[in-house]
Amino acid sequence: MTPVKLPEDILDHGVIAGDEHLTVARDRIRETLETLKAQGYESYVFMTCVDHLATPVVERPPERFELVYQLRNMRTHHELRVRVFVPEDDPRVPSVHDLYGPANWDERETWDLFGIVFEGHPNLTRILMPDDWVGHPLRRDYPVGGEPVDFSEDHETWQSTPPEA
Amino acid sequence: MAERRLEQTGVQGMTITRTRERPAEGRGELLTVNFGPQHPSTHGVLRLVVDLDGEVIRGVRPVIGYLHTGIEKQMEALRWQQGVVVTDRHDYLSPPINNLAYALAVEKLMGIEVPPRAQALRVIMSELTRIASHLVWLGTSGLELGAMGVFMYAFRDRDKILAMNEEISGYRMHTSYIRPGGVMADATPRFLEMLEAFIRQMPSCIDEYEDLLTNNPIWIARTKGIGRLPAQDAIRLGATGPMLRGSGVNWDLRKDRPYCGYEQYDWQVAVEDGCDCYARYLVRIREMRQSVRILRQALDGLPGGPVNVDDRKLLPPPREELDTSMEAVIHHFKLFTEGYSPPAGDVYVAVESGRGENGCYIVSDGTHKPRRVKFRSASFVHLQALELMAMGHMISDFIAIIGTADTVLGDVDR
Amino acid sequence: MGVEQLAELLGDNILTTTVGKAIGWGRANSVWPFQFGLACCAIEMMHASGPTFDIARFGSEAMRASPRQADLMIVAGRVSQKMAPVLRQLYDQMPEPKWVISMGACASTGGVFNNYAILQGVDKIVPVDVYVPGCPPTPEDLLNGLMILQEKIKAQGIKPRL
Repeated sequence: MTPVKLPEDILDHGVIAGDEHLTVARDRIRETLETLKAQGYESYVFMTCVDHLATPVVERPPERFELVYQLRNMRTHHELRVRVFVPEDDPRVPSVHDLYGPANWDERETWDLFGIVFEGHPNLTRILMPDDWVGHPLRRDYPVGGEPVDFSEDHETWQSTPPEA
Repeated sequence: MAERRLEQTGVQGMTITRTRERPAEGRGELLTVNFGPQHPSTHGVLRLVVDLDGEVIRGVRPVIGYLHTGIEKQMEALRWQQGVVVTDRHDYLSPPINNLAYALAVEKLMGIEVPPRAQALRVIMSELTRIASHLVWLGTSGLELGAMGVFMYAFRDRDKILAMNEEISGYRMHTSYIRPGGVMADATPRFLEMLEAFIRQMPSCIDEYEDLLTNNPIWIARTKGIGRLPAQDAIRLGATGPMLRGSGVNWDLRKDRPYCGYEQYDWQVAVEDGCDCYARYLVRIREMRQSVRILRQALDGLPGGPVNVDDRKLLPPPREELDTSMEAVIHHFKLFTEGYSPPAGDVYVAVESGRGENGCYIVSDGTHKPRRVKFRSASFVHLQALELMAMGHMISDFIAIIGTADTVLGDVDR
Repeated sequence: MGVEQLAELLGDNILTTTVGKAIGWGRANSVWPFQFGLACCAIEMMHASGPTFDIARFGSEAMRASPRQADLMIVAGRVSQKMAPVLRQLYDQMPEPKWVISMGACASTGGVFNNYAILQGVDKIVPVDVYVPGCPPTPEDLLNGLMILQEKIKAQGIKPRL
């Protein structure tokens, strides 16, 4: 397993398909990443969000949104994934743009596509979509969009809001 | 006036804008210039808002999203095996490497190991793609800095690679050749002949590019000392690939986190410690030479055997079995109406593309469509380093700096 | 000089045609494309202007970086909702007569990207003369599209667009 000393208040720690991960509470994310950075996880690979709306998984995730921070130790070549669950009705997370440089645009992208608010971010504006766009396209209750295609077997679910929403 | 504009950029820029020097008193006012999204040397639809003090760059704010394709959303609407087609199109200079990242991620989640021949073919396609990607970079960067001839040489040789793609997969660019469970088809004898000829010709072709550029005084004047990215900043800003290796950091996923059996091959990571555009140019040239070296070993040691895993749940049965076996017909039907479903969970796999770390993070909820597919693209990260590299340089050098980052806008905006 | 003298002077060396045909011939063989690469198709467009396919054989090697110097807009790649107004503005900046080739499946119909982000066909915002199929089309396909456009331009003569 990991040679690092893990932060104390982690909620979950495990391995899925060879990838090590740990889960922390939302308000502990900055402290956790600071601790891990001090222990050599200096390389930030990416951060993104997963929308668990109406998931068929039996062991349901505690909240709708899950933020995933992938970190890497360039000396030991270890990778670690830090998860944070974010509730739907209060999608706020502390920003880590000052800890990890590339997190700046990743946080803007996650705000743009998922509507997660990063508190303390210097410029939380849309990055990929036009500035006047309404909605957050990568949420599961946002339709894929486009135009109906003849002979496409399931374009109903593409054009309209999915039934699970 | 100058003060007010600076404050605005502080709001809109990135964190590193805080290091920006303010122009000395009485040096006139900052001029804000819009660069793109349609510009011949922004490598696509990149828009840059540049603050100029005379001709000196005092601030750069990239504005992206002009090629936002919704690829990640599209993949959630497609089945796992259909998604391969879409992966081709996000970083359109290295389609087989994108396929590889996705295929490796799906295989990792399902716990599948592909046969050795498929591994070797994947390495061959990856290295050919890396050369093709570097050739586009070389040709366009040369063109932008006034070396028209290099473009012609580079595209002459790139056409050979695309002809090989066509031979092995039927398509020139978006091959969809590497798929979860193996590769599309076995290499044809003609492909192996073409590859043999290519490996023999390529070193002298790289010599030709070097003759044109490496000691060319204009090229050196335009690239040496331009766009400095010290190693510490490169790591801090998450740079990977030639951007990191051009700053003297020996990090290559093929060596440090090997996949597809890269550990079997004898080759060296190209590292230069000049930290400037010229160093990154040398890294890319040396990488092409190393790729030819890997190709030679992969071709000589190409193992026999199947190119796909023997799993009827993942790949369709051979055509002849459909005539005789009811089971094969059922598998075929199930695969093409429903597809396969990896177990619930999430994995991240990173591979080394021509631009750097090309990663694929997939989340499965146990159904036949992905819950989430995220592409970690190197270009997206490298664009954030653009401001640091360009600060204090002349606007004409900016072209060299944009070129050296080798961003692909499809990869940035996805 | 009278007409008889002129005819005598020129003898058999004269070729008569209509003004429209002469102008169409001239326009068709010097179509200057606008260097407007968007996505994957732009790479194949670069191959078409490279040494193997050599678009110069058709008089279209002068890729212009400014819309004001171009006759032909090759929409090479997918057009996002964010890019669409930019594309229309660039089209408006091109001087008449002007033509548009929609290169590839994405520009023509949205291609595989039938989703919120991509304009489902560039013909929704600019008039398209030739659609080139493929994802991306090979350089031969693009050259074929260019030749079809040349035939169209020749046939249009003096009045390129109504």
